[in-house]
Amino acid sequence: MTIKWLLHWQPNAGTTVNTQIHTEITQCVESINGVKGGRWKATFSYYRPIQRDQTMALPFECSRDLMGISLQEQPNKLYFVIRSQRIVLEADSMIQMIMDKLQSYRARGSVTFEGYQYQFGDFQLRVGKVIPNSQDNLRGIVLEVEYLPISSLDKSRQIMEEFLDVWQETVSKRSLPGHFMHIDPNFVEYGLSDHYTSQHTAIQYVVVMGQLLVAAKN
Amino acid sequence: MECAVEGIIETPHVEALEILLQGLCGVPKERFKIHELCLKSATNLGSVSSDVRLLCDIEQPIPTWTVRHVGGAMRGAGAEQISVAVRTMVESKASKNVLRFFYALGYKLDHELLRTGFVFNFFKGAQIKVTVTSLHKMPKVHATEEAIPVTPGIQLVELTAPASADNYSEVVAAVSSFCEYLAPLLHLSKPGVSAGVVPTAAAAAASLMSDRGNKTL
Repeated sequence: MTIKWLLHWQPNAGTTVNTQIHTEITQCVESINGVKGGRWKATFSYYRPIQRDQTMALPFECSRDLMGISLQEQPNKLYFVIRSQRIVLEADSMIQMIMDKLQSYRARGSVTFEGYQYQFGDFQLRVGKVIPNSQDNLRGIVLEVEYLPISSLDKSRQIMEEFLDVWQETVSKRSLPGHFMHIDPNFVEYGLSDHYTSQHTAIQYVVVMGQLLVAAKN
Repeated sequence: MECAVEGIIETPHVEALEILLQGLCGVPKERFKIHELCLKSATNLGSVSSDVRLLCDIEQPIPTWTVRHVGGAMRGAGAEQISVAVRTMVESKASKNVLRFFYALGYKLDHELLRTGFVFNFFKGAQIKVTVTSLHKMPKVHATEEAIPVTPGIQLVELTAPASADNYSEVVAAVSSFCEYLAPLLHLSKPGVSAGVVPTAAAAAASLMSDRGNKTL
């Protein structure tokens, strides 16, 4: 039984994310008496189709937006998401070896989400830095809010919103140049039900990653 | 990685094979009904042309899906001298939308089969799996209910055992050794190298069936 909302830090126009903001957000969690737990990590990779003959076009059908996510909560699983076709696939982690052997798609980059988790009553908060694996610089900040007693998206909505109101108020006292944003994906489009699963988590990571990539381009 | 051999047997002798396997391995058989879809990559996708198999276990109350990739067999002088294929084989369980996923990646349905039969899973020097399969083709796409036998009267027997780079010699020995027990009924060889049916099969099957008849009495 659990439900998660993934939020990302949206900097104000003309500002960028930096480690000082991450430090202050961590202090916010500690100021509301969150009990610090262990580290957590999620890994995101994006793939591109491999074109055998450069003089010929890639087949129309092949996906240009394949993304893979591994989550600490399911260490033996791998999730693939194709946003344009609203597909989320859950598979054993051996699927990565199959993808390598097929040589159809190549991982073109990966990003790590990592940080510490905090227990706060029935809630667990995970503050994470978003770091591209090829670089050291901070690309973004995420906050995973997990509510343990309920696994229905609908039934948990009110308590999640109330918790976030309190959280946003706490953060706003620090007058940081930005705010946390929650995007509620349409899980039904992916064929998922109201009962929360790790596939819902995977979709949220892909959506947040999409936002961070757009922000980086701007 | 796995070691693999295969052969064929005439359907009237399958019951005798089942009795022999039951006696040799001492475990009950498990029935299976698998819808196998073989997909191939679209033109110009990937650094090489590739294929992948999706296996849907329709014997389960809720069908389960597995992605399987079988690589080429080991080559070289050493590999030529052994009668067992040593090849890469990777499997991964996947959610039920895996066919849609591979279509979205640019894979196309090449052919599909319905595999029905039984399997024995046991340890005899290695973890050996003997699968006896009746292969069926479908007149219409995905029409498993209308499937008809590919080779009426003939069934496929596959013997596989997981192996690693460190132990495949021992696994090859265990597989070869087990093949000898089955030799009166069928000849097992590397996949793709068919040795046909065994002339002694009818007599061996009759003997096995008669032995069972005597024990029953």
